[in-house]
Amino acid sequence: MSFWDILAVLAAGAGITLLLSVACMAAALAVGLAVALLSRSRWAPVQRLLVGFTFVFRGIPVLVLLFLVFFGLPGLGLRVPPFLSLVLTLGLVSGAYLAEIFRGAMNAVNREEVLAAEAAGMTRAQGFTYILLPQMFRFSIPGMINEFTAILKYTPFAYTVGIPEIMKRAMSLTPVILRGLEVYLAVGIVYYLIYKACVVIFSALEKRFRIPGLSAQER
Amino acid sequence: MPLIECENLVKQFDGKPVLRGIDLVLNEGQVKVIMGPSGCGKSTLLRCLNLLDPPTSGRILFRGEDITRPGVDVRRLRQSIGFVFQHFALYRHLTVQENVTLGLRKIRKMGSRMAREKAVCELERVGMYEHRDKYPAQLSGGQKQRAAIVRALAMDPAVLFLDEPTSSLDPEMSREVVSVINKLFLDNVTMFCVTHDAFLAKYISDSVVFLDGGAVLAEDVAERLFYDHPDPRIRQFFLGVIDMR
Amino acid sequence: MNVLIHDLIAYAPQILAGLENTLLLAAIVSLTGFCGGIVVFSLTLSRSRLCRSITEGYISFFIGTPLLVHLFLMYYGLPELGLRISPLAAAAVGFTLNISAYNARHLMTAYRGLDRMELEAARAAGFTEPETFRLIVLPQALRLAVPALTNQATQNLKDTSVAFLIQYKEFFSQVQEVAATNFEFFRAYLFTGLVYLALVALIVVAARRLERRIALPGFSA
Ligand SMILES: Nc1ncnc2c1ncn2[C@@H]1O[C@H](COP(=O)(O)OP(=O)(O)OP(=O)(O)O)[C@@H](O)[C@H]1O
Ligand SMILES: [Mg+2]
Repeated sequence: MSFWDILAVLAAGAGITLLLSVACMAAALAVGLAVALLSRSRWAPVQRLLVGFTFVFRGIPVLVLLFLVFFGLPGLGLRVPPFLSLVLTLGLVSGAYLAEIFRGAMNAVNREEVLAAEAAGMTRAQGFTYILLPQMFRFSIPGMINEFTAILKYTPFAYTVGIPEIMKRAMSLTPVILRGLEVYLAVGIVYYLIYKACVVIFSALEKRFRIPGLSAQER
Repeated sequence: MPLIECENLVKQFDGKPVLRGIDLVLNEGQVKVIMGPSGCGKSTLLRCLNLLDPPTSGRILFRGEDITRPGVDVRRLRQSIGFVFQHFALYRHLTVQENVTLGLRKIRKMGSRMAREKAVCELERVGMYEHRDKYPAQLSGGQKQRAAIVRALAMDPAVLFLDEPTSSLDPEMSREVVSVINKLFLDNVTMFCVTHDAFLAKYISDSVVFLDGGAVLAEDVAERLFYDHPDPRIRQFFLGVIDMR
Repeated sequence: MNVLIHDLIAYAPQILAGLENTLLLAAIVSLTGFCGGIVVFSLTLSRSRLCRSITEGYISFFIGTPLLVHLFLMYYGLPELGLRISPLAAAAVGFTLNISAYNARHLMTAYRGLDRMELEAARAAGFTEPETFRLIVLPQALRLAVPALTNQATQNLKDTSVAFLIQYKEFFSQVQEVAATNFEFFRAYLFTGLVYLALVALIVVAARRLERRIALPGFSA
């Protein structure tokens, strides 16, 4: 089996890795946004709850949480399928990180602009949708790229719950051909290519939609 | 005909009085300038009049209708009052033209073509047409403030509130903005303008209100207020302001 | 719950040994990763273009690939080169390579935030390149990078849990072994999570102290 054959076997799992990553990113985005928005509430119990949420999911190792969800919850009579387990785990963990990023970005938005929108007759919801949110997203881009690539790098944990992604394929290959060095080097290369592609695509998007005076570096 | 009247307007922040019973009338087509020492409550007055800050007590009449009683359509009121901020408050993620059209489309519910035509027309009025596709970060201070004025004017407000429109600009850019405001003055746009700029006050005002410690101390045409006013506090203030120029 | 507590007590030596292994690995790799980060960072400032591109390639590869791959490469790969190493050694090497890359990037980011004029002044004052690096660049970059570096330290602690996948007998693996005897998996994982949270809280408190201690007036990240 040549190095190319190894790469080909692994690449066949890349689709699942990508699918997993995208699903986790979507979940993380939803969790992050929800937490960031809720944290605007001035109600003390909500605030405390969110501080706790952030601490827990930023503090717990991803692997431990994944095992808790996949191997632990069935003990309580709750069976979570493998794919969903990983999406749930990374959605919560990366969501907690994203929430911090969004919160920081929201603070970077000039309050007076939102006030100006309301002074002109917009509702709070409109000011939020048309002024705060678009600016917040722009300020969050570098942090979001970081977090999304972090998700990609966590996806190999999926093999532990039996999802046939890149790492799982590599693991079933090693005992057959007994060339771990080559196999895992190939795994590294495949991941690196996906990583680079992500970074390039995200940066291109960022550049395409860049607004003078509003990129995160200038903030 | 009075556009805005306020009677015994009081505003407190956590029990601390900032406005202590203001009586004012702004007639349609009139331009009033509000002056006074820093912290005397000028910005607060403007913010109370369009209900960005709810007044603590007193009455505000807009076209004869009491807007302080509950159940008033605050958003409709604010649409009739254009607000220009000291630091421009342009939406940084939108071009100049989009800054103008956003309100037209989302508040006035105009179609995007009509909004664009209206924006172009208003931008031409203050010489900002050529900058319409720039983002705020690409504009000079004077251009930013002109864009902010256009954004407010495009909504066809009954009155324009300006809170220190020139005080974050250097003299050159300030002149640019004064000439725009002066043009509005000549066009009979109703305005309430807070400023420390005696030059601006003199050239655009029908009368000047002097506010001190949250109360109206005097109201008169600029010349009579600026030079040799009998009240020593007012004399002192304008000596400082006018000497600075 | 009683079952778990009972087992925790019964298997305390095993679990504590696991905790010890976790802390050992976290301490080792945080230290080697810190030193490695400084070395790699210094190489990114090298005069030689070849050296710079190799260094940047190294950083890019290790940041662009999963930690698990680095660990597997060491654990399954090195023996094929004739190097028989223990899980601890494999983990230590894999982690060090991984963490050094991240720390180097934290330092590079901090370096970009430094005042160029000051560096120019140092060179103009007659300091050699190594002196400028040691006396001006490094202390300032380190100080600016403290939040990122302490974050990395918590990350390292959490990441050591991955080492159980290469048969290193760390805390997580030991708790699982205990759980396997009584099938109380949920509680075991919950317990693991709580212990990690407590350790992370300790690091966060220590990091805050450190940040306050080394804070200079007019100098913050
Ligand atoms: N939201 C607020 N909460 C508490 N106090 C406030 C608030 N807004 C304004 N104040 C206080 O009210 C007083 C008047 O403020 P205001 O901004 O109206 O002054 P101003 O006349 O506009 O001053 P300047 O010329 O500096 O702009 C100040 O003492 C200020 O500290
Ligand atoms: Mg003010």
